[in-house]
Amino acid sequence: MKRDQVTRRRFIGGSGVLAGSSLLRISAPAALAFAETACTARNEGAEFKTLTAAEGRELDALSARILPTTDTPGAREAGVVYFFDTVLGDQFADQLNGFRGMMNEFQAGIESRFAGAETFSDLSESDQDAYLTDNEQTPFFGMLRAFTLMGFFTMSKYGGNKDNIGWKLIGFDGHGAAQPPFGYYDAQYMQGEQDEH
Amino acid sequence: MSTENQVEYPLDQAVDFVIVGSGSSGGILAKELSTGGFSVVLLEQGPFREAKDFTHDEFSVFAMSELSGGTPEINNQTFRDDESKVAQVARDRGPAFYSPGVGGSSVHYSANFWRLREIDFNERSVLGPIAGTNFADWPISYDDLEPYYTKVDWEIGICGEPGPFDSWRSRPFPMPPMPVKSSGVLLEKGAKALGLHAQAEPLAILSAPHNGRAPCIHCGFCMGFGCEIGAKSSTLAAMIPLAQASGNCEIRAGCAVYQLETGDSGKISEVRYIDPDGNQRAQKARAVVVAANGAETPRLLLNSANAANPDGLANSSGFVGRNLMLNSHGLVHATFEHELNDYHGVQCTRVVHDYYESDPKRGFYGGGGFDARPFLHATPMMYALTGQPPGKNWGAEFKDTMAHNFNHQMTIAVGATSLAQDRNNITIDPTHKDKWGRPSLRMTYLDHDDDLANARFLQSVGKEVVDAAGALEQWSRPVGPQNGGPHLLGTCRMGEDPQTSVIDPQHRSHDISNLFICDGSSMVTSGRGQPTMTIMALAFRAADHIAAAAKANEI
Repeated sequence: MKRDQVTRRRFIGGSGVLAGSSLLRISAPAALAFAETACTARNEGAEFKTLTAAEGRELDALSARILPTTDTPGAREAGVVYFFDTVLGDQFADQLNGFRGMMNEFQAGIESRFAGAETFSDLSESDQDAYLTDNEQTPFFGMLRAFTLMGFFTMSKYGGNKDNIGWKLIGFDGHGAAQPPFGYYDAQYMQGEQDEH
Repeated sequence: MSTENQVEYPLDQAVDFVIVGSGSSGGILAKELSTGGFSVVLLEQGPFREAKDFTHDEFSVFAMSELSGGTPEINNQTFRDDESKVAQVARDRGPAFYSPGVGGSSVHYSANFWRLREIDFNERSVLGPIAGTNFADWPISYDDLEPYYTKVDWEIGICGEPGPFDSWRSRPFPMPPMPVKSSGVLLEKGAKALGLHAQAEPLAILSAPHNGRAPCIHCGFCMGFGCEIGAKSSTLAAMIPLAQASGNCEIRAGCAVYQLETGDSGKISEVRYIDPDGNQRAQKARAVVVAANGAETPRLLLNSANAANPDGLANSSGFVGRNLMLNSHGLVHATFEHELNDYHGVQCTRVVHDYYESDPKRGFYGGGGFDARPFLHATPMMYALTGQPPGKNWGAEFKDTMAHNFNHQMTIAVGATSLAQDRNNITIDPTHKDKWGRPSLRMTYLDHDDDLANARFLQSVGKEVVDAAGALEQWSRPVGPQNGGPHLLGTCRMGEDPQTSVIDPQHRSHDISNLFICDGSSMVTSGRGQPTMTIMALAFRAADHIAAAAKANEI
């Protein structure tokens, strides 16, 4: 296993931004954990328990530019903002203040660049993309992007990936038992072996 | 797992053995010594999980390090690449990456189980010295270890079939190899086009029922995860139940050993640890086996320094902690026209070992192998975070590419040699402590130039292989110096000479007659990148020697 691929902070972006996070232990039996995934994603419009309504609106808009809604669902449909709400109030609670600080800084630049706008969600999508592009190298962007991807793809008990939207998008139907052949090339290979006999 | 009905030994009466660490080595030693009739206390700093505790929860396993010791500040390990620098607490994850808990890292490994070959044991004699390194022969040969490799095959549970370059084996594999996956087929195709030979990957995962255990269901959650089926052949699944059933093994989980105490005789008299409630305890023992892994074992010996052993225990050679080898690595990612769905099943089903042996014509020392696998991209969250090609990493196009590639992608993973060097080592950090108050582990590491050149060479072959297999697109990061890893090797090496080794060929420390050491630290050379099979074989062999010594009253 190549270790640099599994580093939490590296994939989250800025070095050390998330240092000091609390430890999560999942001790529920696997089967129970899977069962939970089907029913714990929150409904759109549900109240936030950690974020303010304004923060929720911003993060919904922000995550929707990382994974936009196109002819396929994006972060908004997956309820990624509720993942932010969940983990910033729990597993990453000690990062909440730091995250808020970075988000305020990010928002502070909007007004001077776009006349009449104060928040990211005020902007048109093209202005949103332009502003995000300007901020691509910031720790805030790294964290926003990593949280969006985590929220979109990890189990819905953490708030996002509603109805397993993320898994359906990429064609992941795993978690359970499977029988080979799994793909095109091994099916061909098996067929070839059978033909030889 | 239940410890309710297990034997309980009093602290103040010496048990035959205290074993520190319950992983690949410690789990085997506990089973062998306890079923051999000796009283054993097995101390493990992590929790005692059982199969039903293992989930497919990527966020918990990878973002919260559920199985790998929790967040870095718990252990406060430090890292530097040069001894002149002040080591820093690693903020992303500990440089010595392992899984605390009964079964140790055999719980979360991918279970690739290459044996070493004859050449690994006498390569220094064959190739000659390498300046600036501690490159050396082992004091044992492949023939000495072969019966124990076979024991691992049958008792731990290994599936596979012999490859064209394998060393001799005294008994066939107990189970056939896993069915080849698309990644394996493509590796085989590309290798063949280049005149290379792909062979079935030997795996410590059951392909058929074995020893009362159920086989793999191909769920795909191997790498980094615990197996809820118990089909992955961890010592937790294969050895611990037998140790418990012997009635001679008390497992104490959540117990962090901080010191081995030597008595007036110079022998170890007791093992001091902090129990799960935070109390300091001391277990008396006739003999101690340290099997805490190649980073924690030297750390414990160094942290146990006392007036009689000012440089740490068993360290008259100065070799405790030295010669750390991490194996070198490299990756190549590629996409193909049709679906692979490589997220199903075990990680690897084919491996190429044509470059196993070092060839002076290449201009550097080193050898290795490469396999095909989904890597960390088998599971959705890690795929999204780490498995994307270079380029814009957000937006509609990014989403579409990600949606398409998941089923069409695979990785070539290189595992290769590391050279033993003084500069690469485990020492005690002078400043930091872990959550138990133990002085922190400090890693100093910079890959040897030959190790980097060798990994780059193998990575370049990997690129040719995926091209030859018809890849539509491929990408890779350049091989560079490592800042940690899960393969922790060489830090208490075995040897005949007490001046240049820590343990003798029977795993007894040269300096302290009732102290035995067996884990990755015992290895003299690094092998080619998959060390656990050898660590387990060494443990079975060490157990034979240790039991014989105990029966002869020589501990």
